[in-house]
Amino acid sequence: MTARAFVLVSFLVAIVSVAGCGKKSNTVAADPLRGAYDSEADWNDPQRVIPLNYQQAQGKRVFYVQCVWCHADTTPAGPSNRSNLKPVPPLMNDGGALNSESDDHLENIIALGGSAVSKSAMMPPYGQTLTRNEIQDVIAYTRAIAQPPYQPPARPGSQYTIR
Amino acid sequence: MAAEEMGQISRWLRLVFALTSVLFVMALAISPVKDSLREWKRYKRSYVRFAQARPDTKHLLADFNPEIDQIWIPDMGVVDRCTTCHQGITEPSLLDPSVPQPFRAHLPIHHRVRDWGCVVCHRGQGAATEVIEAHETTLSWEQPLLPPHFIQASCGTCHRADLPETPQLDRGRQLVTQLNCVGCHRLQGVERPDMIGPDLTNVGTKVSRQWIYKWLKQPRTVTDNNGNTVVNGYDSEDSLPRMPQFRLTEQELRGLSAYLSVQRAKPIEPYHFDPRVAALDKQPDLADQGEVRFRQMFCSTCHSLAVIRGGETKLIGGDIGPELTKVGSKVNPGWLVAWLRDPQGYLAHSKMPQYQWSDEDLYKVTRYITTRLTDPDLLTGVPPLGAPTADEIQLGRRLFVDKGCASCHMIEGVTPQRDFGPDLSALGGKNVSELSFGESKIPRNLIAYIQAKITNPLSVNPAARMPLVRLVPADIDAVTTALLSMTGTPSSSGLQKLVVPRAEASFRPTGAFNRVYERYKCYVCHAFNGFGGTLAPDLSYEGSRSQRQWLISFLKNPQTLRPTLVFRMPQFNMSDQEATTLADYIGLVLQSPAADPSQADAKPFTAENVVLGKQLYEVKYQCQSCHTIGSTGGYVGPNLNTAGNWLTPSWIEAWLRNPQALMPDTIEPHRTFSEDEIHALTAYLLTLRQSAKTQAARPAAPVIASQRGPESEPQP
Repeated sequence: MTARAFVLVSFLVAIVSVAGCGKKSNTVAADPLRGAYDSEADWNDPQRVIPLNYQQAQGKRVFYVQCVWCHADTTPAGPSNRSNLKPVPPLMNDGGALNSESDDHLENIIALGGSAVSKSAMMPPYGQTLTRNEIQDVIAYTRAIAQPPYQPPARPGSQYTIR
Repeated sequence: MAAEEMGQISRWLRLVFALTSVLFVMALAISPVKDSLREWKRYKRSYVRFAQARPDTKHLLADFNPEIDQIWIPDMGVVDRCTTCHQGITEPSLLDPSVPQPFRAHLPIHHRVRDWGCVVCHRGQGAATEVIEAHETTLSWEQPLLPPHFIQASCGTCHRADLPETPQLDRGRQLVTQLNCVGCHRLQGVERPDMIGPDLTNVGTKVSRQWIYKWLKQPRTVTDNNGNTVVNGYDSEDSLPRMPQFRLTEQELRGLSAYLSVQRAKPIEPYHFDPRVAALDKQPDLADQGEVRFRQMFCSTCHSLAVIRGGETKLIGGDIGPELTKVGSKVNPGWLVAWLRDPQGYLAHSKMPQYQWSDEDLYKVTRYITTRLTDPDLLTGVPPLGAPTADEIQLGRRLFVDKGCASCHMIEGVTPQRDFGPDLSALGGKNVSELSFGESKIPRNLIAYIQAKITNPLSVNPAARMPLVRLVPADIDAVTTALLSMTGTPSSSGLQKLVVPRAEASFRPTGAFNRVYERYKCYVCHAFNGFGGTLAPDLSYEGSRSQRQWLISFLKNPQTLRPTLVFRMPQFNMSDQEATTLADYIGLVLQSPAADPSQADAKPFTAENVVLGKQLYEVKYQCQSCHTIGSTGGYVGPNLNTAGNWLTPSWIEAWLRNPQALMPDTIEPHRTFSEDEIHALTAYLLTLRQSAKTQAARPAAPVIASQRGPESEPQP
């Protein structure tokens, strides 16, 4: 009898030790804003806070230095220059105007300026002022704050799920 | 015992032996089985399956290694095995959010992930090969991953200077400096300034005991409609009172107010106005005139006033000097006159410039401040205090040191306690076991601890002496980030080498220029070679930019170039000689190597150039979207109506070539003009002049000259 008990115990020990390495702790769901790099209040609804990732946050920074003066209605320095311009530049969160443009086309508008893409020459070229990364950051930020929300074009991403 | 029976027993034994052998083999197998089931190996295998499902399999598996990957940075003492599981971290094709973790690539950042690894920024246990050990707090590792929201703290560990990419860290550092945390705590990278709180040696000549009582009880004079002490959420205008709120009992308030109100070592000399000024008293609108002068002199660039707009109390104005809404009920009028004439006579480290006052202006502005910036209810709620008794004074003197007042404020003859608060210069690297959470119910981690301590110092330690500083949540997060970045002196010389120090900038002119520069405190708002304030334009290259005559007239009567700005240069009523001294020095010394006057003068500007330039300005480049000429155009860039009077040709040409070469922070886009276009645009801009008559603005018209300046300047 004692020998049988010994065998049983040994089996149990072996199973527990093999299984022990796969143990998972149940993590608490984190505050989405704590998990975000930065955040921005929805321009149309200040109560709604949009979490931004690193790239979008860098875009927000560039936006508030370079673009805000003409592409927003309020600026850190008070009045906006937007009402002064004709044609009136789109607001940076205007999904209706910007969602239909591809990332590449927006990059071209910013880098080469309005006149290079048959738009108003009032939009200066930023290709030498901002780096390519910074321009892409601004586009990522625009996409994040867009109203109506921006839907990226369908990608064949579904097949990459882990098996 | 018979021989047969012995056979029976041996069969039993054989069975036991057989079983033991099987067990033994199984026990031997446990280790290899366990090894092949290790967490990181599962991730390795699933990465291979994942890569095989993608079109770029070959590329993704080009340098696949089935073993543990490790990045070793001996200088930093970093062993980083994160890339063992995060295998696609540098693959640009895996950047898409649809890629499952841990294989997703990192967004492009300034540091190469393959060189620096992950833990340098994200913290966590780099040598660990299990998910929980790497990311979370375990019994043997108390530096868990930093939440992304606070990750800028890691930038600050090495980068001691502010970076444009880290606004939250920069804001936190700014707040830590502004709130004078360094008065009591030792902090990394924050030097103790010469003056933290005002010197109180003569405070008894400035304010009453009642006011001191009120201020100590509630250091805020402005309240909103509901009597709340939070105005504006203070968030947008940075108008925090620098004095935090201390928890003082009635007796302590009486003692401190008594002690401070008898500090009058140096009595104020009463100023005798010109007798003609007294005649102004007959004018009923004297205070209104004072208000007009107050506005014209742009006191609001440094001082704010509370106004009620749309039922909301807002502070309008700058935060370099104190908020002045109720200052008339605070200070003694005799003190005010002496202060306005010579601020440094009362407070040697004051940032307030010494204006050239005419007696008339001084009289009017003083009248405005003492009659309009008042609140009859300011001192309600203050009990009758009577004359200070010897006991009260004695108590106050002791409290002044015990409560830590002496850590920020100076009184002659009082020695502060050294290191009043705990040393925080290595707080960001502290282990949780080193912190005392007391009875509080907050999560046991460093971030929760810091935030609880800032929100309410008593929550983690009921005996804390730390005063209450009211901050909005975003600012609490910013201060937390700044504190997390302070991880102490680097532990090795290799680590020391990696620290990017803050540039030590200084600009200490001497001679005649310095006297004017110090008198008007130019450096409080303007920066010179990286030294000075950020409120006003950087003047490091002002000598290359501006024409001498324009500088002189601007200094005499500053008119803004950017009408949208709220903060404008105050009118100092500078003398001609002072303005000339400044302009001469600026023109000679503050020159940019990028703007060469000899080049610009080489080619003459012709009428054709001007025509072409105007066309380029208006049609091809549409500069009017940001700049104003005449009365049309945008107001992002400066108004160019007086560009011909203001700018030098060499500056305009160099600016058009590459604005960032002259001013790295400017938002003017760097465009590609041809040399001919630059020449034409310059020619056009130089024609934009205003005659001296229209340019010379409404003079200040001092009727009665000041009898004697506090510092006698030779008048031209």
